[in-house]
Amino acid sequence: MSAELESCFSNLKPSSYKTTSERTPLYNCIAFAAGETHRWWWPIGGYWPKPAPCNETVDSFIRAFDILGYSPCDDGTLEEGFEKVAIYIDERGTPTHMAKQLPSGMWISKCGQLEDIEHETLEALSGFGPTEYGVVARFLKRAIQKRAIQK
Amino acid sequence: MTGEITLEKTDAAAPDEWVEKPITAKKENESARIERKFQLLVKEWREETSHLSSMTKLVMHPKYQNIIGLGPAVLPILFRELQKSPDHWFWALSAITEEDPTNPEDAGDLRKMTDAWLKWAREKGYL
Repeated sequence: MSAELESCFSNLKPSSYKTTSERTPLYNCIAFAAGETHRWWWPIGGYWPKPAPCNETVDSFIRAFDILGYSPCDDGTLEEGFEKVAIYIDERGTPTHMAKQLPSGMWISKCGQLEDIEHETLEALSGFGPTEYGVVARFLKRAIQKRAIQK
Repeated sequence: MTGEITLEKTDAAAPDEWVEKPITAKKENESARIERKFQLLVKEWREETSHLSSMTKLVMHPKYQNIIGLGPAVLPILFRELQKSPDHWFWALSAITEEDPTNPEDAGDLRKMTDAWLKWAREKGYL
């Protein structure tokens, strides 16, 4: 549990999440959703995979994850054989955060420079308070690769 | 500089009295003032941005911009902070020095970017 996280996200209830790492500035939620924990992903001022455009738009995020094999899908419903990510946007439509779905149906997020958390719902981090991530705008999915399962 | 003096006006006790103070002492006072200002700004910046993933929001935050506004005097402090642990000081360093010693392929990798900046700082005599 983290008092700081709960103060940032009004929908984050102690019973519905757990922290799974120490806080660190080394990576962020986008890197974490992409499966990395050694660098900070962001289209401006961070790592961003080529040839995704370096601008802060949902399309740019979709392009970046397209390179990883993800494509848009309708919702965050758990689908066997697939892994999903969700893109949050603020009221201006600018991406703010990404979460990744676990095979259990739970979601995992790295919250800025704070801890990684495992949370039951995407709504846990939603809201338009000054420190909340807005709403989920798009879902992406890709087939779970065999080599990933064997790990 | 040793032995040089400057004139400063004293404050409450004798408002119209001018006293001699060594320039080195004045510089130390200025350095301490910058350090205090930096520590206050960085505390507030962390409190207000630690949940953010957007690099743009991190570095465009008013407190971060105020740190950049401290100018070259804050460089030794930023390098000492980086010696303690990697952090998002690269934007500020580039803004102040108009340099970028990092490898573009290391974008986002705070450890490698820190190494590049600390190497640059040693070469330039900041460390």
